[in-house]
Amino acid sequence: MIAAAIWKDMQLLLRDRGTLISLFALPIVFIVAFGAMFSGGGTSPDVPRPIAIWHPTPSPAGEVVERALAATPGFTPQPLASADAVRAAVAAGTVDAGLVIAADVDPAHGHPVELAIDLAAPIQVRAPLTGALTAVVTRALGAPVGAELVYLEARQPPGIRKPLPDISGFQITVPGNAVLFGFYIALTVAMSFAGERRTGTWRRLLAAPVPRWKVMLATLVPYYVIGLIQLTFLFGLGASLFGMRVAGSIPALVVLSMCVVLCAVCLGLLFASLGGTEKQLGSVGSVCLLVMGLLGGCMVPRLLMPDTMRSIGHIVPHSWALDGYYDLLVREGTGFSDIAPSLGALAGFAALFALIGLRRFRFET
Amino acid sequence: MSPPALQLRALAKTYGERTAVAGIDLDVAPGEILGLLGPNGAGKTTTISMACGVVTPTRGEVMIGGLSLARDPYGAKRRLGLVPQELALYEELSARANLAYFGALYGMSAAAIATRGDWVLGVVGLADRDREPVKRYSGGMKRRLNLACGLLHEPALLVLDEPTVGVDPQSRNHIFETVRALRTAGMTIVYTTHYMEEVEALCDRVAIMDAGRLIALGTVRELIAQHAGRGLAIEITGDVAAAEVAAAAHADVRREGATLHATPHAGLGALVSAIEATGATITRIESRQATLEAAFLALTGHALRDDDAPAPPTSKAATP
Repeated sequence: MIAAAIWKDMQLLLRDRGTLISLFALPIVFIVAFGAMFSGGGTSPDVPRPIAIWHPTPSPAGEVVERALAATPGFTPQPLASADAVRAAVAAGTVDAGLVIAADVDPAHGHPVELAIDLAAPIQVRAPLTGALTAVVTRALGAPVGAELVYLEARQPPGIRKPLPDISGFQITVPGNAVLFGFYIALTVAMSFAGERRTGTWRRLLAAPVPRWKVMLATLVPYYVIGLIQLTFLFGLGASLFGMRVAGSIPALVVLSMCVVLCAVCLGLLFASLGGTEKQLGSVGSVCLLVMGLLGGCMVPRLLMPDTMRSIGHIVPHSWALDGYYDLLVREGTGFSDIAPSLGALAGFAALFALIGLRRFRFET
Repeated sequence: MSPPALQLRALAKTYGERTAVAGIDLDVAPGEILGLLGPNGAGKTTTISMACGVVTPTRGEVMIGGLSLARDPYGAKRRLGLVPQELALYEELSARANLAYFGALYGMSAAAIATRGDWVLGVVGLADRDREPVKRYSGGMKRRLNLACGLLHEPALLVLDEPTVGVDPQSRNHIFETVRALRTAGMTIVYTTHYMEEVEALCDRVAIMDAGRLIALGTVRELIAQHAGRGLAIEITGDVAAAEVAAAAHADVRREGATLHATPHAGLGALVSAIEATGATITRIESRQATLEAAFLALTGHALRDDDAPAPPTSKAATP
């Protein structure tokens, strides 16, 4: 009897794609994704991280530091034409940090080397880089034993907004989870369509004297409103209970959230257009959303990921949403112009999902 | 003279190579109850779905109360109420909340929904349970609420798709009484069912569909007289296949094992002689009861509730 039950359940399992994906494919995806995130995946030790550098010529101190940087495993100096070029490269994100060794550099007399770095980047990103570069510069300039001199001074380059003082972890975890779970409204939307079809209410809706586009809107719009309520609740909770602060514009935060929910609801329409039962949508859709959240940096901030994984993250809307939230929550004075790329990308994703969803969606079954 | 409550003209639906409905013409008169019968896969639900605007026809036209569903879909749909075969309800909501939503789809005001809701819940006997979540209802109560949702906006034409599937006898009787009362009030009803006795009890006329075609239309009495009155079951020993071929010259014949189900074209004598001439022996002749079920069987070759079973071999197709 037990054997028969095992055989029966094996047959059922083999016919249940959603469960198969959850049990076998999802762990592989997570193993690969997390492995790539934490083992280098694209920025292996063989590919040293470029550090922008400028010093006047000739400059004995600058040349010593540049040679020391070149000799340090994991770094490669990227000489630029001017101090401003170094700062601009950091501001543009083409390099993670830059060293400006002025003609009058002299740590012993209060003229340290300038470290151009985004001070709003997570401490997990900034601290190791700052520490390593401090060691390189300190050794290169021959720090005297027992001296407590400042050899390297980190400065925010122009073009990058300053961070809030005392950034808490909730500035990152609240938006990360809000985006991850905010996108789950897509699953609810898709399952709602499937449920309407299963119960027959869909037939009743189609028989009613309303245009089909209104039937569709009547299904989507409530979830848009629910999605907004969900994000408002999560950010409100983050602010009231966990001390999360908004460094930038609150209207921009509201518009960004509206774009996030729009994108999630359109993704739900796309899921719904693929058809399937509620159970199939539930299992396959949740796997998709988890993977999207993972790639988009909801669980591990993308700034901690290697370059390749950071780039891959841009294929999902989650990453753009989080970039926008990060700017608005962490960098002082940020507004619409700072998050325009995020708003544009989210609107683009929403349009793409809606277009594919509408083309594939079948009112009649 | 008022137009037919429902007119179908050359109505057809194909899905790729498969023809679900192959061109149907049908008029349903105002105040009439028309029963729509057919075996599974006959095209009943597709026909109803096209008539209600749920499925777009491949060709043909639907007119509801003289309004074209294609040209004036919203005007036509306002005259129509659909009670789907499924329990098309939001089970987490109360009966009132369901009615409020479905009423809003028809542009009804809150006051009209409340007033009309009182009436319709009274009609289906759910007035005292109207605030409870539907999921707490019995199957029969849900069926009755399903009917109420289709009635709320006072349609002139009500389409009931298998309205009594899975209900207890008490709820079935309640639905019967409601349907009769609605007809008395002047409503036109199209009623599909698998239950022959429901058609016999309720319907003024019956339309029988098979393989996407309308193969018979008339009152129950007419259909029985035309298609079930002269049916015989003839038990044979010997070469049954040869006997079937011989019998086919004198009757519509269908073979089932060693029995020939025959509807003679003329007298019984010629049929018996033809069978015996093949050397086969007739061991028993039984006159079939003249019922709608027998008419249905003669017309379609299917038992009505013989779900998905292939039709037995027929030597000659029945015609309406």
